[in-house]
Amino acid sequence: MPVRLFWVVALASTLAGAASCSRSSDSSAAPAISLATPDGGAPAYVALTGLPATAVRTLEQAHLTPEQWTSVLRVAVSAEAPPMLGDYAVVDDIVRFTPLFPFDQGRQYHVRFEPSRLPGGGADAGAVIEATVGRPASTAVPSTVVARVYPSGDVVPENLLRMYVEFSAPMGRKSGVEYISLLDHQGKEIPGAVLPLDYEFWSPDHTRFTVFFDPGRVKKGILPNVQMGRPLEKRRSVTLVISREWLDANGLPLKEEFRRVLRVGPTDLDPLDTAAWRIQPPAAGSRDGVAVTFPESLDHGLLMRALGVNRDGKEVEGAIEVDQNETRWTFTPTTPWRAGTYQLLALDILEDLAGNQIGRAFEVDNFDTVDKGPNPQTITIPFRVH
Amino acid sequence: MHSNTKFWLLIALLVATSWAPSSARAVAQAGQGPKMASIGPLAFGPDGTLFAADNQGAAIVALDLGAQATGGAPGAKGLDALDEKLAALLGTGAREISITDLAVHPKTRQAYVSVMRGQGAGAVPTLFRIDGTGKIDLVSLSSLKFQSVELPNPPAANATGRQNPRSNVITDMGFADGRLWVAGLSNEEFASKLRAIPYPFTNVDRGTSVEIYHGNHRQLETRSPVNAFVPYTIDNKPYLLAGYTCTPLVKFPIADLKPGDKVRGTTIGEFGAGNRVLDMIVYRKGNQEFLLSTNNSRGVMKIPTNTFASATPITTPVETETGGVPFEKVTSMNGIEQMDKLDDQNVIVLARATSGSINLQVLPLP
Repeated sequence: MPVRLFWVVALASTLAGAASCSRSSDSSAAPAISLATPDGGAPAYVALTGLPATAVRTLEQAHLTPEQWTSVLRVAVSAEAPPMLGDYAVVDDIVRFTPLFPFDQGRQYHVRFEPSRLPGGGADAGAVIEATVGRPASTAVPSTVVARVYPSGDVVPENLLRMYVEFSAPMGRKSGVEYISLLDHQGKEIPGAVLPLDYEFWSPDHTRFTVFFDPGRVKKGILPNVQMGRPLEKRRSVTLVISREWLDANGLPLKEEFRRVLRVGPTDLDPLDTAAWRIQPPAAGSRDGVAVTFPESLDHGLLMRALGVNRDGKEVEGAIEVDQNETRWTFTPTTPWRAGTYQLLALDILEDLAGNQIGRAFEVDNFDTVDKGPNPQTITIPFRVH
Repeated sequence: MHSNTKFWLLIALLVATSWAPSSARAVAQAGQGPKMASIGPLAFGPDGTLFAADNQGAAIVALDLGAQATGGAPGAKGLDALDEKLAALLGTGAREISITDLAVHPKTRQAYVSVMRGQGAGAVPTLFRIDGTGKIDLVSLSSLKFQSVELPNPPAANATGRQNPRSNVITDMGFADGRLWVAGLSNEEFASKLRAIPYPFTNVDRGTSVEIYHGNHRQLETRSPVNAFVPYTIDNKPYLLAGYTCTPLVKFPIADLKPGDKVRGTTIGEFGAGNRVLDMIVYRKGNQEFLLSTNNSRGVMKIPTNTFASATPITTPVETETGGVPFEKVTSMNGIEQMDKLDDQNVIVLARATSGSINLQVLPLP
């Protein structure tokens, strides 16, 4: 397999000349350390070349323990750090160290070869060789941006509970709470507005992050609300700021900081009322979408799964589109509508921007209310296709 | 943490509803070398089975540590800058790893630490063991026998909705009453659900909707998250003690946590707003038993448990900063992010130093 060797910086010295020449399998070679990057995507490894033939044969037969290997050839993130985990092998007279995980791009690794620790080696085996090796740093430039933020509308309720931040490419694993801030109308940061849950509220593909506002600041009458007020003040504007320091899946910062000004509207304390929804039925034989419009913006994430269409107890297959600032949900079936009655299904977990659900407000001061069960209830709303 | 003396957070691990019966059961698998996308939280079963949550893979894995649980000095020794040491073994820097949990083996008392190597797309789950001399060994996941169970799909009213961007974050796990208890949150619902999984894994039940009265929030808090929990016995009956965000302490009788049933927890303590519990353990000192909880903004609290059985339930708004069962702050313990009971005298913790590095410390139980 072709192998490229590069990035070698010998820090100290070669083996004692006479000894190395007399024992080397190649009289012109001296022990040397390099980083090898095989073609074809196999992982890079540290290569120790130029060992005397007798030393190579001895190593091949010695069956060293991992601890013995690291005393001979030690690879670490620094001269002081413990040796990193990996596998040693002797292949084609070359000692290879292949790390358990690939060498990081752009990180320098310290390598130390101690000839005296070779099996049968002694004080005259040769001088220590140290080298620094590493893969080149990535040349990629930041390109990931905040693609959109839900809610889409410019006006949010004073008791906004949740936001979704969508990115143009997958992001890293870290929670985003430390990269998200809200500025008040004077440009001052609003402390404690975002719930400090450092959980990884990512979508499975890491392109959407969910931000929860502190319910202790949102709900009426509770202590933090009394002490600090709501994070959003009615009739004021706030600015959402997403720092470009948030790293994407390639470890690169965002291409640019994201800012969006939101206007704060009235508090929304009312549960969703499906009677206020308007369904525009499509025509039989068409594949036009059935559109459902709501009197207020609803939660984008929940809109994508909490609504569906049934006929005769069977789920109708189709595609969903949400638009008009999350006030319209449109379902386009894969096969044409047939004349007759369909059912719009709505899970009662569907929420508006303030966390109010179907038939249940977020702020209920009703100690005796008990849910009917652990799973969402389904509300069925029939519509006729003519 | 997350041993059988700990809590977990559940984020709405909902199963499909009656009109989607095909996804109402989770899939259980067994074999060697689990394919995990992530690791943590952890919880040990009493026989030494290590349960590991794989949030990215939406699964829970039961690991048979086999021979890798043998050898080494019993117990665990503290190590300064554990994050830097683990990162060095993994060939990277401390900023490139995340320590996701700490759990103590119930028999060897050695510490197990789950670590994600990498912060980006190529992040890899790893597991380490730390013994009584401070020796760190990598546990080879690929050679372990395992059982795993997938978490059910989210409830959805349409087919595409079941593959939508919703995800679960398991926040705590604990083994009690022959079952693994799981707590978690979701990135779309501000909900809390406890789920019980009989082991060996056969299926995942429908979960139990857990409801409390939150003294500081003046309302039912079905939709507030459980951050941590711990199994506990009151009057010879098994309970779960759960710590919620902002920060009520709630007890649930396990006998009442039946799938599909509605349960109302009893709030017995209120430990302050703007706070969440990171971890909890129960321990005995002298003739008295205590609950030890560590919090993200209110430090470590030591709570005598002798009042738990008779504590007056908090059913009206708490107008003061804290209320309910008495507690004292343990000012000698700072920066504690994870902990587990090491033995009858000591607790082992992951503590963040002022320098930002994470130390593994063995401390006397307060």
